[in-house]
Amino acid sequence: MLPFPVLAPALPEIILVVGALCLVLLGAIQGDGARRAIQTLSVGLLIVVLGLVHLSGGKQGVGFEGAFIADGFAQLMKVFTLIASIATLLMSFQWLERERVERYEYSLLVLLATLGMMMMISANDLIALYIGLELQSLALYVVAAIHRDNSKATEAGLKYFVLGALSSGMLLYGASLIYGFAGTTSFSGIAAVVKGGAPLGVVIGLVFLLAGMAFKISAVPFHMWTPDVYEGAPTPVAAFFSAGPKMAAMAMFVRVVITAFPAIAPQWQQIVIFISIASMALGAFAAIGQTNIKRLLAYSSIANMGYALVGLAAGTPEGVQGVITYMAIYLVTTLGSFGCVLLMRRDGQAVETIGDLAGLSRTRPWLAFSLAAMMFSLAGIPPLAGFWAKFYVFGAAINAKLFALAIIGVVTSVVGAYYYLRIVKLMYFDEPKPAFDRGDASVNGVVIVCTIFVALLSIAPAALFNAAAAAARSLF
Amino acid sequence: MAALFFYLFSAVLIASAFMVVASRNPVHSVLYLILAFVNAAGLFVLLGAEFLAMILVVVYVGAVAVLFLFVTMMLDVDFAELRQGFQQYLPFGALIALVFAAELIVVVGAWAIDPSVLKVVQGGSTAIPSDVSNTQAIGRLLYTKYIYFFQAAGLVLLVAMIGAIVLTLRERSGVKRQNVAQQVARTKATAMEVKKAPFRAGV
Amino acid sequence: MYQAIVFLPLIGFLIAGLFGRLIGARPSEIVTTSFLAVSAVLSWVAFFTFDAPGGMMRIQIAQWMQAGDLVVDWAFRIDRLTLVMLVVVNTVSALVHVYSIGYMHEDPSRPRFFAYLSLFTFAMLTLVTSDNLVQMFFGWEGVGLASYLLIGFWYEKKSARDAAMKAFIVNRVGDFGFALGIFLVFVLFGSVAFDAIFPRVGELQQATFRFIGFEWNALTLACLLLFMGAMGKSAQFLLHTWLPDAMEGPTPVSALIHAATMVTAGVFMVARLSPIFEWSPTALSVVVIIGAITAFFAATVGLVQNDIKRVIAYSTCSQLGYMFVALGVGAYSAGIFHLFTHAFFKALLFLGSGSVIHAMHHEQDMRKMGGLRKYIPFTAAMMTIGTLALTGFPFTAGYFSKDAIIETAFASHRFGAATAFVLLVVAAGMTSFYSWRLYFMTFEGAPRWAGGGHGHDHHHADAHAVHGDEHAHHGHDDHGHDHKPHESPQTMLIPLGLLAIGALLAGFVFKDGFIGERFDAFWAGALYIAKDNHILHEMHEVPGWVKLSPFVMMVAGFLVAYWFYMLRPELPKRLAESQPLLYRFLLNKWYFDELYDVLFVRPARWLGTFLWKKGDGAVIDGLGPDGVSARVIDVTNRVVRLQTGYVYHYAFAMLLGVAALVTWSMFGGAH
Repeated sequence: MLPFPVLAPALPEIILVVGALCLVLLGAIQGDGARRAIQTLSVGLLIVVLGLVHLSGGKQGVGFEGAFIADGFAQLMKVFTLIASIATLLMSFQWLERERVERYEYSLLVLLATLGMMMMISANDLIALYIGLELQSLALYVVAAIHRDNSKATEAGLKYFVLGALSSGMLLYGASLIYGFAGTTSFSGIAAVVKGGAPLGVVIGLVFLLAGMAFKISAVPFHMWTPDVYEGAPTPVAAFFSAGPKMAAMAMFVRVVITAFPAIAPQWQQIVIFISIASMALGAFAAIGQTNIKRLLAYSSIANMGYALVGLAAGTPEGVQGVITYMAIYLVTTLGSFGCVLLMRRDGQAVETIGDLAGLSRTRPWLAFSLAAMMFSLAGIPPLAGFWAKFYVFGAAINAKLFALAIIGVVTSVVGAYYYLRIVKLMYFDEPKPAFDRGDASVNGVVIVCTIFVALLSIAPAALFNAAAAAARSLF
Repeated sequence: MAALFFYLFSAVLIASAFMVVASRNPVHSVLYLILAFVNAAGLFVLLGAEFLAMILVVVYVGAVAVLFLFVTMMLDVDFAELRQGFQQYLPFGALIALVFAAELIVVVGAWAIDPSVLKVVQGGSTAIPSDVSNTQAIGRLLYTKYIYFFQAAGLVLLVAMIGAIVLTLRERSGVKRQNVAQQVARTKATAMEVKKAPFRAGV
Repeated sequence: MYQAIVFLPLIGFLIAGLFGRLIGARPSEIVTTSFLAVSAVLSWVAFFTFDAPGGMMRIQIAQWMQAGDLVVDWAFRIDRLTLVMLVVVNTVSALVHVYSIGYMHEDPSRPRFFAYLSLFTFAMLTLVTSDNLVQMFFGWEGVGLASYLLIGFWYEKKSARDAAMKAFIVNRVGDFGFALGIFLVFVLFGSVAFDAIFPRVGELQQATFRFIGFEWNALTLACLLLFMGAMGKSAQFLLHTWLPDAMEGPTPVSALIHAATMVTAGVFMVARLSPIFEWSPTALSVVVIIGAITAFFAATVGLVQNDIKRVIAYSTCSQLGYMFVALGVGAYSAGIFHLFTHAFFKALLFLGSGSVIHAMHHEQDMRKMGGLRKYIPFTAAMMTIGTLALTGFPFTAGYFSKDAIIETAFASHRFGAATAFVLLVVAAGMTSFYSWRLYFMTFEGAPRWAGGGHGHDHHHADAHAVHGDEHAHHGHDDHGHDHKPHESPQTMLIPLGLLAIGALLAGFVFKDGFIGERFDAFWAGALYIAKDNHILHEMHEVPGWVKLSPFVMMVAGFLVAYWFYMLRPELPKRLAESQPLLYRFLLNKWYFDELYDVLFVRPARWLGTFLWKKGDGAVIDGLGPDGVSARVIDVTNRVVRLQTGYVYHYAFAMLLGVAALVTWSMFGGAH
């Protein structure tokens, strides 16, 4: 007999699975009557899991015959992902209730998607990677279309599903090519095989693999779904898409290239540089033409993924540290921005054009202040958090002698600043439109926390930077 | 003998796969798909993987393909219309396909298993035991070494199920449903009423 | 003590400037004036008790900046020259503060006025106490700023705004030279601190420097550049045009800034840098020539002006020319002595004329005055003293200092000194003439103001167009319509009296120290005199007629003025009509404003318009911001059009992307 599988490193995931299954049962028995209980319990469960992940302290541990890895990197990224899931869940409930999308399955799907993300982050094997990815994606496809009576939402869900299936196909194709040439699916095994130079099949397989993963972080040219899905899906869902899954997919991306393919860094660096530049440029230029704030934020997240990849392109521990820092700050900023969008509600109706923000500083000064802080941060203006994010990735790129990449990044962030600042200008200098309704307490809370983080990170940034540095070291 | 069957199955598999895409009638496509599945099952048998072969026939032919058949027959899809767009993009699409094909041929042409790779492969996997059946062997691996993948795949299926229910199940009003408990709980008193019917007057 | 002298005005400025509205006008006046009074008293105490070893002491306040070799300290250099300037600046400033309480009592923004006055004083004090060129430049620009603010104090008047801008811009020309001079000094000596520069000047006597294509003697070039700054600040010939216009400011400002202190900053600077200038005879010749021309030119223009303040302004310009001649011939102490005495009598004249203007309800045209002595006798007496001192009446202050300058000009062998002597003597006569002309037109003869009210009627046809609205600020002139001139309040008369004492006695009391027997004990090395420079001895050995000539010219000027304006009042008009060309030439100030307008102002305006419309608007905006943003929008539109919404387009884009990446990594990459 084979030995009993090592479960300890995956304890938080196992708790999450068991909890989620209990909630599925509860929902199946009680029906919609248990919706509120399930919501509360879901958040509680995620908080418990977050606590467990945090308590694990980032100990290195491998479970399930090497398919699952727990290390400092995984721990930190899981913490971020769980925070994102908790925040988006909190922001969702009342909003969805008002839009008459009262489905208890929403919380369950978010739970399972979060589980998928944690599996992606900890994946140490191509199969584990693929299954985690599918678990997460499938849940997201459904969540995108959860407003099933809304044609835009169903269109968004369908588009996401079809394109996601295509990208999964590419990823799977790449994985099978790699397996075919390397003879193993485990990352450490692949790293051992390609040490002395990779066969062409592995390189091409890696290209397909990267394409599939680039789809998940919505990097150009695999980004096309992002604006449509963000616009069509309910706003809390778009917020969810832009936060946790991006974090998990980026973590997976980093782990694959750093731990499985360190020997052929020049090959994947070229691809990363290409999609990084394309994402930064397209994100910056396309966002200018948008009138819908959710589409704008979609392009903003495309550009932000480009900036994060700048750090990865460096391929150094410093670069990975930059990626982690960037993603953490991006996560908070995007949650805050979407929180502000969730508060855009006039006469009981959600509004989402940029023009609706006009004169917000006079009707809702604090909301305008928060959104302005987010926009300035996204534009990378010191002393807000976004400045440090860009500072670290560009710094890593320069230290890796990727000067052209850094310069292009700076130029596109100047172009990008235009549309961020345009929102600020609208809010502060244009004639006010009628005031928004009073916001939900939970959304207000999330926005306030995000604003404080973004505005005050510069006071004590060391905690974040040191944690990111430690996490980055655990990969090398 | 085995080689003959291998080429037979393979040839029919590829031909029917092509016909799935090429045939004009969608029902024919699904039928060709079934043929392809059956031939793939034959290939599995040749490899000694009889369990997989049976699964393929039972699940894909018996369930999936039949479901497809129902769907295509019930949906009114105008394939001619779809093909118009197809024609428009054909040249460019074909070019891309050609590029892909050429590249993959180059890649596969470079297939030469490195001795070091072989070493890793041999070191990593155990020899096929002869004393256990196919089904037993898969079961042992699935529930031990690959328990993680197996359970996770189960979760994926769970999500798929939840998703299908969330997106399609509707409580429709005005539809008569069978309520077993109610049926069983009926008594003679509630179920029956004796009416006295007078002559030439009706009820 | 020195810190108190310098920083009390700054504190006063901060209090009045920041809290002036809060605490009101009267407390602002009291605070600034009393701080200045304390500073003035301390200055005199310092002046008499100063006894530092070696005649110099240095007080470090802080290090200002350090960049590579450039180390700039914030420090005081206290020696006799500084002390003289401290006394002059603080005394006049304190008296002007007191005077302003009376003069400005109707103005609504008095806190601002007093804040500016104190700010000016502070800047002037940092200038005179500076220990290095950069600190001096700071003070230099600070007084320029304060001067700009005070000339434009009545900013509702266009003429005041224009005058303020003119003063600032003309000074920029000089300051540019000054800044270049500082750079050159730094290049030559590697330091901007006086202590480091002065001992090493001799080593560099033969050094050369390439500038605008020519090989120059480095020291001469540095001196000329520095002197350019002095020319601007001290309104010397070619850069003098701003000073008469600066009379748009309130009269106390004219007395403080444009007579006694700021305009003498150039004189002070040359004297302070005497260790450098002394090594460059060429530069000193330029100083002599420019000074002499200014003295002569300004006197001629002063002959025909009708605005009481403008006459005194040209007189100031002319007297500054005298000081530069003294500096140029090497008699630095004579120049500073004249600076010292001039501060008293010129401030007296300005404040006196301010009293007249106050009495006449802000009428400044002397043709509308006359016979005022009966109404404002005290002012008339004070003006008489001022005039006597200015014209060099024996034993008044001007007599000692001005005659000394004329004698040194004669005694010197410097190139241009002989011409300077002639010009100065002629100018002395003209000084006497226009001073007495001013006195007679204002105080004697028949009153010309009773009939037509005061100042609201049309102007004389000859009045220069630029100054057409010089009486437009009568907003604060709403106290009754009492047409009779009245004597000014005590706050204005007491400063007049104190200055009059100075104007009478300053020369007699201090002449031994400044230029006489006690020279060495007094200056104690504050002024550098080359070994072969014996000008102060030679001065005493000039022939008797030279000594007499200024006196003769003074008497002649007085007699002509008396004849013209007392005995035969119709004569000046006839003379003007018989010599129209000369008259207009002088009245229009040698047409300098017009010349500069054609040479600089219009081409600059044309160039500016051209660069604005064509250069900036069409080229830079077109290719820069506007062009870039238009291209960005183009790109955006194209990118947005890619987002069609069709799922198969999206899928196709993905396939295309992956195909491109595969192709790249197979054939193009590092593989």
